[in-house]
Amino acid sequence: MKFRLKNLLNYALGCIKRYKLRTIVVLVCLTMAATLFSSVLFIKDGLVREGQLSLKYAPDLTVQGIATGRQSYIETRYIDLIQRILGVEKVVERIWGYGNIGNTLLVIIGVDLEDPNINLDADYPIESGSFLDPQRNDTVVLGKAVAELIGAKVGNLLTIITESNQARQYTVIGIFNSESSIVNADTILMTKDSARAFFNVPEGKATDLMVFTQEVNPAYYQTQTSFVAREISELPNLRVLTKDLLASAQETTYGARSGFFSIVWYLILISVAIVAFNQTVVVGHESRFEIGLLKALGFSTSDIIQIRLTEGTVLGFLAGSAGIVLGVFYNAVLNAPVLKDVMLGWATLYPAFPVPFMVSAQSIFLTYAITVIPVLFATVIPSWINATVDPDIAMRGARA
Amino acid sequence: MIQTENLTKIYNRGKQNEVQAVIDANITANDGEITVFVGPSGCGKTTLMSMIGQLLSPSKGRVLVDNEDISAYSDGWKAVFRRENMGFIFQHINLLPNLSAIDNVIMPLLCHDVDVERFRKPALELLQDLGLGDRSSFSVEELSGGEQQRVAVARALITEPRIVVADEPLTFIDAASAKTITDFFVKLRNEGRTILISTHVHNLAKLADKTFSMQHGRIASNTS
Repeated sequence: MKFRLKNLLNYALGCIKRYKLRTIVVLVCLTMAATLFSSVLFIKDGLVREGQLSLKYAPDLTVQGIATGRQSYIETRYIDLIQRILGVEKVVERIWGYGNIGNTLLVIIGVDLEDPNINLDADYPIESGSFLDPQRNDTVVLGKAVAELIGAKVGNLLTIITESNQARQYTVIGIFNSESSIVNADTILMTKDSARAFFNVPEGKATDLMVFTQEVNPAYYQTQTSFVAREISELPNLRVLTKDLLASAQETTYGARSGFFSIVWYLILISVAIVAFNQTVVVGHESRFEIGLLKALGFSTSDIIQIRLTEGTVLGFLAGSAGIVLGVFYNAVLNAPVLKDVMLGWATLYPAFPVPFMVSAQSIFLTYAITVIPVLFATVIPSWINATVDPDIAMRGARA
Repeated sequence: MIQTENLTKIYNRGKQNEVQAVIDANITANDGEITVFVGPSGCGKTTLMSMIGQLLSPSKGRVLVDNEDISAYSDGWKAVFRRENMGFIFQHINLLPNLSAIDNVIMPLLCHDVDVERFRKPALELLQDLGLGDRSSFSVEELSGGEQQRVAVARALITEPRIVVADEPLTFIDAASAKTITDFFVKLRNEGRTILISTHVHNLAKLADKTFSMQHGRIASNTS
């Protein structure tokens, strides 16, 4: 059987070269579809990863103040009240918001340098310069992509416009390089006091509170968090956001967008299947004649299906591989034009940053699966139909 | 020995365009003989040859080879039978385009468990015997009709079949090629193979050990 299998494989590969038109049409259409599909998947995976990174050091609960039904500053007196709830480990006030540099809106975070639990090395690993000096309230540390965007270097002076249109100057004393490309691209760190002054947040108030729950067996984490969230909700004028809620909001936003593209992709896929089917059945008189001839020469139906399976698999893998390579090129080198706007939104104020993408084994498997299966469907089924009729009928039909 | 019993083929049975292509054909073809089927165009020769070669299922009747009913075989076993025992030369030549002459010749070997590369030399020798030694690497589209038919003959013989079915093998070819092929049939007969030929070419009919004359789908007469 060794030689027989080899002969059939060689013949199948020869068919790919021999039916040039069919091969080119199928490869071009399927590669285009696979490129689009893999690009969307890679960006979606990248965004999910970004989401996971942003949640990695996020508190178990975020508590916001509510006034007239809208988010407002939260009073820091709530810290003590929340701290008393069973299961709460720690409550930390946070001051943050948005500031303008040029036309770009950036996130400004006030860092509490005295908080012994803050993990600066992990969250904001410094690439050049140093971290914030608690003695100096006129310094900032920039994300790497922010620094590149505005052309800032350590030691430069930076002017940021406040909400009340006041220009404030800071010295860049460090640049950090986070795992998260979004954090790198939109974050400016300053001391908590600087941030309070910048945003004009009154003493006794904060942007929000971070609530960390006590460590429990992971099986009880959800129960404990829900309990604490419910207890906090009992307090007046507060809104509680859980880590899961933030994660699902992110997943819904980007998942829905990639879902939209999946529909577009499926339409392309169906077109490809029709083209391939058309090539095989309608245009494929040559193929029908060949099947009849092969059977006349002693090939069995299973031999013919094996040949077509090999052809289809090779074509599908070629298209899938080309699609994956082009998808990576499209995202990494071209920075995903068009798709980026669709996947990330059209906000012009949002800072430019490299499209977050990740090539996961699951995406690669999925891309291959949906490039190989339609081609198999389009090549094997018509071949099987032709191979089950008498060789004479197949050859005569092809000549007719 | 090949025998047929009441072999019948009806196309489009029960429809307005029903055609009774072959009706109750009973023939016997012995080993080491050339059996020729003659008759006008459309008399059912090709259909009969296809049924004998298991390329077409009969509407009725049986094909027996050495007293074994091969028409009762499953599709898969028919393929095996053709692979192991038969070589076909088709009226329409039926070579695969975009392949060289020698690649067409070795095609039937691809479904055998053999190293086809080892058969390139015998294939080349066959082509040389048929006067195509210098054309073996030519694409079949570059060959004349007569040369293509000789490639088809070589393809039918590469597996050394014991039964050769040749349907109008001299239809599209010149006199020189016809003589080469005719001589080859004589050689095959001398090797003890069973040869079935359908033809309207008088020279070829002269080779016959047995001749069946067909008319309107029926065997009108036979002569030995």
